[in-house]
Amino acid sequence: MRISKILKSLDYALLGVVGLILVVSFFVLQSATVNASVKYELNFVYRQMAWAVVGLIAFFCVLLVDYSKLAKYGKLIYGLNLLLLLATLIWGVERKGSQGWLSFGPLNFQPAEIVKILLILGLAQFLVPRVGKLNTFKDLLPVFIYVAIPFLLILKQPDLGTGLVYIAIMFGMLLVAGASPLLLFLLIAGGIGLASFAILGHLAWGWWLPLEDYQLNRLIVFIDPMIDPHNAGWNVIQSKIAIGSGGLWGKGWGMGSQNVNDFLPEQWTDFIFCVLAEEFGFIGAVLLLVLFFYLIYRGIMIAREAKDIYGALLAMGVISMFAFHILQNIGMTMGIMPITGIPLPFVSYGGSSLLANMIALGLLMNVYVYHEDRIMF
Amino acid sequence: MSVPIKIKKRVAGILFFMTLLLIVLAGRLVWVQLVKGEELRQKAFAVRFRNVEVKAKRGTIYDAQGKPLAISISTDSFYANPAEVKRSKREKEIAQKVAEILELEPDKVLQQITKEQAFVWIKRHVPEEKAQKLKTAKLPATAEFTATNSLPGIKSVEEPERFYPKGQLLANVLGFAGIDHQGLYGIEKSYDQILSGISGTIMVEYDNRGQEIPDALQKYIPPHDGNSIFLTIDETIQYIVERELDGIMQLHSPKKAGIVVMEPKTGRVLAMGMRPAFDPNNYNDFAQVNWKNFLVSDVYEPGSTFKTVTMSGALDEGVVNVNDRFYCGGFVQVGGRKVRCWKASHGSQSFMEGVQNSCNPVFVTVGLRSGKDVFYRYLHGFGFGKKTGIDLPGEATGILLSKDKVQEIHLATMSIGQTNAVTPLQLLTAFAAMANEGKLMKPQIVKEIRDKEGKLMRTIEPEVVRQVISVETAQQVMSILESVVSEGTGKTAYVEGYRVGGKTGTAQKIIPGGGYSTSEYIGSFLGVAPVNDPRMVCLVVVDSPEGMYYGSQVAAPAFRNIVRDTLRYLQVPAQIEPEKIANNLHSIELPSLVDLQVSEAVKILSQKKLKADILGQGTKVKAQLPLAGTKVVEGSKVVLYTSVPAAGAEPETVVVPDFTGKNIVEVKEEVKMLNLNFDIQGSGVVSRQEPEPGQQVPLGSTINLYLETLSEDVLYPIGP
Repeated sequence: MRISKILKSLDYALLGVVGLILVVSFFVLQSATVNASVKYELNFVYRQMAWAVVGLIAFFCVLLVDYSKLAKYGKLIYGLNLLLLLATLIWGVERKGSQGWLSFGPLNFQPAEIVKILLILGLAQFLVPRVGKLNTFKDLLPVFIYVAIPFLLILKQPDLGTGLVYIAIMFGMLLVAGASPLLLFLLIAGGIGLASFAILGHLAWGWWLPLEDYQLNRLIVFIDPMIDPHNAGWNVIQSKIAIGSGGLWGKGWGMGSQNVNDFLPEQWTDFIFCVLAEEFGFIGAVLLLVLFFYLIYRGIMIAREAKDIYGALLAMGVISMFAFHILQNIGMTMGIMPITGIPLPFVSYGGSSLLANMIALGLLMNVYVYHEDRIMF
Repeated sequence: MSVPIKIKKRVAGILFFMTLLLIVLAGRLVWVQLVKGEELRQKAFAVRFRNVEVKAKRGTIYDAQGKPLAISISTDSFYANPAEVKRSKREKEIAQKVAEILELEPDKVLQQITKEQAFVWIKRHVPEEKAQKLKTAKLPATAEFTATNSLPGIKSVEEPERFYPKGQLLANVLGFAGIDHQGLYGIEKSYDQILSGISGTIMVEYDNRGQEIPDALQKYIPPHDGNSIFLTIDETIQYIVERELDGIMQLHSPKKAGIVVMEPKTGRVLAMGMRPAFDPNNYNDFAQVNWKNFLVSDVYEPGSTFKTVTMSGALDEGVVNVNDRFYCGGFVQVGGRKVRCWKASHGSQSFMEGVQNSCNPVFVTVGLRSGKDVFYRYLHGFGFGKKTGIDLPGEATGILLSKDKVQEIHLATMSIGQTNAVTPLQLLTAFAAMANEGKLMKPQIVKEIRDKEGKLMRTIEPEVVRQVISVETAQQVMSILESVVSEGTGKTAYVEGYRVGGKTGTAQKIIPGGGYSTSEYIGSFLGVAPVNDPRMVCLVVVDSPEGMYYGSQVAAPAFRNIVRDTLRYLQVPAQIEPEKIANNLHSIELPSLVDLQVSEAVKILSQKKLKADILGQGTKVKAQLPLAGTKVVEGSKVVLYTSVPAAGAEPETVVVPDFTGKNIVEVKEEVKMLNLNFDIQGSGVVSRQEPEPGQQVPLGSTINLYLETLSEDVLYPIGP
């Protein structure tokens, strides 16, 4: 297909909203890294901009091929996914407590970001023949096993955040595939109940848990941050203080005391939302939420209007991924979700993350572009 | 394969669900930012500001006359901001410079100023000159760096330092304040809150690593300086007391010695001194025991000085009369045990004489006559067994034997001042009540509190605790005690020109673990002057002196000197009341000694308890002064002239007597009799005279006398 045709049929509203989110991101990053840029002698904003350009290129590359042609490679993609995760486990470099980095010479690469997309691609193909036939637990079991294998490999890294994204993607796509919402709800509720029970058992009787101590601590301080205000509870307390002290209009760009005085942990990555809320206030934070809402809304519309069920599954997988990232990241800064280190899409600093998100966006756009209403084959 | 309608509906449901999730996020945002916003804003403020305390200037401690005894001076203390030091990349040069000026080890300084801390003290309380040097120190330009106009990261802050201008004077009462200016001992401790004032704060903005942010927001709340304290202590009297203490230490080398002087009418402590003492400016150079104020915090068995209490109670209850007769056979039998007297036997004596002799059997008898109820009533009445409430830290309550355990033998020993243990201050406070018409006063050491501008904040008024004995009893006690000094064991405390009363005490020391020492004693003297209008009471305690140990030998002379100098300082007029002397002291009519051999004359005088002062080299008395027929007081001096006076019935010339060491009153009397005039310069006692003693001068000549305040050599060794 000709590039000009693609350009003509793009969903510019979607692209525009992502562009706006990126602009917000650059402004907030500038302020969030005033100290860090000196410390690491690095201009975070320029780097992020460069990654955005790389991401944009990747976005267009993804658009070159009709997504429906990928369907037959589902198994291959799944295999690639598992290989990548295994490779990360074996050769992964430990950075920030997680073994999630692969090193290729000077390039550091975080497979966790790309494996989400690989899962979406693989799972969509896996679900296509099962659409409408997912009414019992027994029907769902193969799907669970399909997701459980890469999920456990991710947990082993350990990267609980990405693992949870997997679950979210799975449930989002299962909904589209026609699984009973009630059954899924019961499963989620049961899962949370079981997990709580296991944690209780661990605390009371020392049961084994597939969690590192720090992850467990994060879950405990989620219930009451004041149990350990200087260590595990620190982040929750300080981020809430940052957001709350922003008030309606915020303290002004570069004037956030919690940010500038480094009371927020790595505020340019996972806690970027605090910087925005502290310096631009309720107005700024709600503006970002509106932009995200529009992103999700557009994505869901694309899923709805997809030319086939495979496309709808792909679109919903991407949207589930974005939505969960947004909910989890913003929720944790305000103390309604436990702390897991997953970035805010298009806003947090990080090349792998931005690149993966741009590719995911490309996938979404692909579903939109390769539609009989828009493009003649 | 198109998307079925069912799925499309499902997707719409998902949109609804996700919208809901975003609304939850927005709702939470409303809660955190808009509802809880103010609270969290304050928290944000609190986490980034840290308070740096700014010490208030500590108030001054003055004596009663407003002479400063403890003051605060401002000194510079230096600290480093290691982050700034490191940023300059010239740490070594800085350390070298700092070490050079402050005379420290360069390596240690380097280590200190590069520590991983936001704040490191380098040296506190740096002397003015060095501080100035360090403040203006610069780093020169080098190949790499440009010159600086100060040492990067080296900063100073003004810190007050306590200074005691009089050194050891009153040290154990004043106590001292530590390096952070906090009162640790004595008045400095008990009045710490008033002296220290209220610290101010500098609120400094810090980042998460605890680094002070340069040019950051700072909020300054100035400190509220401390108030000043005016003591009841009079520096001059304190000087006199400390001088006597030094004398006692020199002469008798006791383990401890202490003196308290109190104004009986108000309970105000005029002086309180002790040895061992220390210099509060360098308190760390002294052992901790030296910091103590044992006059307030330690107890002892007071011995005979306590007989004043026994006597007061018994007289007040009417169980004994001054003229009651007693017999002393050297001991008294109590409950099958013997309580010995200090002398083999005093024989038959009145109660008055018994007190003069400090006779144990007399007091034991009187104590037993009182009975334990009466005895304890007066013990409690005089404040024993309870803190006096003086504003000094660490006061002891004393140890009274529990009343229900008291048997006759205990009552007997208590009556002579053993068994019960009291603090020296308690004893003097009780004694002050006897000198204050029976009214017990709360001892007071602080007179006034003023703010830093000198505005009066609070006056501490004298406080009457209770009337312990009647006014009449108190007067009776005073006159008995006066006779102790004029006639009895307290003669060594006699002060010429003043009416003095008092009681000696020599107590055996308790051996830790039980029993009494046979080699260690506490000699003491408890006295009052003048007895007719008491201006001061004084207790001298000498613990374990070497050699002589009787209170009359080791304590009374110091008392005498203190009374003499203090009463003069207080401008109490010398009182010689002939009637009083005639009544209370034996007055003697001088016989004619002229033409007698000198040795014979001296013998006659000594029989009459008079002293002889021989002038000239002759063997026969040619003239005498005062003249024959004059009535003189026992102990007076009679001048015997042995040189031949000029011809004539009445000598036209007189030999100039030696006035050295005499006070104005004595001089006046003598000169009057000799028909000489005199001219006085200075005050105190005669140190020099013109013409010299022994010269013949015509009658009516003028003698120039140069007076000086006696300041040394005031202790006279006493014979056995």
